[in-house]
Amino acid sequence: METLRFVAGRFLQDRVALIGAVLILLLVLAAVFAPWLATHPQDVSEFHPADRLQGPSLAHFLGTDRMGSDVYSRLLYGARITITIAVIAISVSVLIGVPVGLVAGYYRGWFSELLMRVSDIFLAVPQIVLAIAIAQTLGPSIENVILALSATYWPFWARLVYAETRSIQNEVFIEASIALGVSPLRVMITHILPNIMSSIIVRTTIGMGGTILTAAALGFLGLGPPAPSPEWGRTIAESREFLPDAWWYATAPGLAIFLVVMGFNLLGDGLRDILDPKIRRSRTHDR
Amino acid sequence: MKFLVLVVNRCLWFLPTVLGLMVITFTISHLIPADPIAAAAGENATAEQIAALRVKFGLDQPIYVQLYRYVLAVAQGDFGISLYTQRPIVFDIATRLPATLELTFVAVLIAATLGIPLGVLSATHRNSPLDHVLRVITVSGLAIAAFWLAILFQLLFAMKLGWTPLQGRVDGWGPDSVTGFFLIDAVLMGDLEILQDVAAHMILPAATLAFPAMATIVRFTRAGVLEAINSNYVMYEEAMGFPRRIIVWKYVLRNALIGTVTQIGLIFGILIANGVVVEAVFDWPGLGLYAVSSILQSDYNGIMAFAIIAGVIFIVVNLLVDITHGLIDPRESR
Repeated sequence: METLRFVAGRFLQDRVALIGAVLILLLVLAAVFAPWLATHPQDVSEFHPADRLQGPSLAHFLGTDRMGSDVYSRLLYGARITITIAVIAISVSVLIGVPVGLVAGYYRGWFSELLMRVSDIFLAVPQIVLAIAIAQTLGPSIENVILALSATYWPFWARLVYAETRSIQNEVFIEASIALGVSPLRVMITHILPNIMSSIIVRTTIGMGGTILTAAALGFLGLGPPAPSPEWGRTIAESREFLPDAWWYATAPGLAIFLVVMGFNLLGDGLRDILDPKIRRSRTHDR
Repeated sequence: MKFLVLVVNRCLWFLPTVLGLMVITFTISHLIPADPIAAAAGENATAEQIAALRVKFGLDQPIYVQLYRYVLAVAQGDFGISLYTQRPIVFDIATRLPATLELTFVAVLIAATLGIPLGVLSATHRNSPLDHVLRVITVSGLAIAAFWLAILFQLLFAMKLGWTPLQGRVDGWGPDSVTGFFLIDAVLMGDLEILQDVAAHMILPAATLAFPAMATIVRFTRAGVLEAINSNYVMYEEAMGFPRRIIVWKYVLRNALIGTVTQIGLIFGILIANGVVVEAVFDWPGLGLYAVSSILQSDYNGIMAFAIIAGVIFIVVNLLVDITHGLIDPRESR
């Protein structure tokens, strides 16, 4: 409780983290309340060819697209896709990566070696390269984007948790609980995990930003959910042939991606400053 | 001696890693939901014809035999035939590789020449307006989607202002190919007009790629300088009355850059990832554009070849970074 109040206090003082949190909150609100915030909610699947490529106006805040649909309304529904992809893909990555890292860090032997070598191979290649290969093979859909991202992102958490587990394993309280006969599973979950939680939280926050960028790139390359999906990356790809005249069409979804990723990166940076005692110490040191 | 152990150790990891990468791409290519042979044989193929094709492509063999053959073929540079260009994929990739390498080198050059000094300034003028502006720029650089930045650049500089060409690598045929690097080839020809044209085509894609890379370099250089500036030798040099300029740009920077060098691997990863979409936007005839046309043509062989080549380049870069790191920082290999 004490720690929680401390973290909350620091958080409110940290303007950068606060800006990040506000941006993320805006994304969540846009996604949840899309049907009410949208001025033309039916435009996700409905087209009005007579109104195509109109500039921003009171009727269409961010103009209309090649089908005459409202860009602003589609943007809000696109937020739903972005959140769905990022949250599920990251959750799966964490659910695979954290146990792998814990087990490989706790036990020593050929199995741990094998687990870490496999993650190293995944980390040896830029994530998007394998994600492209997987998404292309399975075909363009939201499920396959999630699958491609989960399959390529879990090693980040495995690596992190492995390193952190190894580094606190020799602490007295861990040795003591082992000596007292506490089962390995219990040591991992009740003693190791809480102590490395802050690193996991920071990595996960920053990972959200990276995942959203990769998902948008996959959408841009035509590997995301197929048309008429309002996915942001796909929308930008569709807008290209109408440049430079329909500038609003390309700028709006790109700006949305930018702000959301910025939100997660700022929050991640802020949380790291707040949660990481090492940095906290060095910060006060050089002040 | 220790350094040699480091080099040998890293090189020994190279083969298993590349082998692992091949196992991954092999696995992915077996994820295809539809039966590729039935699709290739066509709708009217009889069961015997399909079985014959299966034997022809070796798909009747047990999975480990298939994997063995696959690894053997790829190791010899045989990625199969492109369904799109109908040529061996290794040819296609060899002709496109120089375009990607040239673009990447120029982008790294821009990112480093701007990023290192800016990182130092940001550290020495900590919490000044300059530092804040640079922080906003670096945070933006890591949050912006590369394909969107590319489109914005195109919209502004090529379409609205007309300062640069919209896309492509050169107008017309380009310089006589000697190295495949058009900037160098144009210089070798002594043709200033072509050199100018090549450079004009290069500015926007290189700037797009350089932006996030520069942001990373500024960040790590800043952190490195801040750490080094608090060390004892700096205090000593200050006490000895060394000019601040020399302390920072000569002694501190050299130590700070060690941290930046270790991030080159990370930067290269960003460049390869962004290269795909940036080449797609600028119609840059490199590896990334090849990957994109393979995606559009559903050319699985092309995609897998791209994944392996991009992966191997990335692994080699990281290997070189580790070795360089051992060279410039003797503490590493002690």
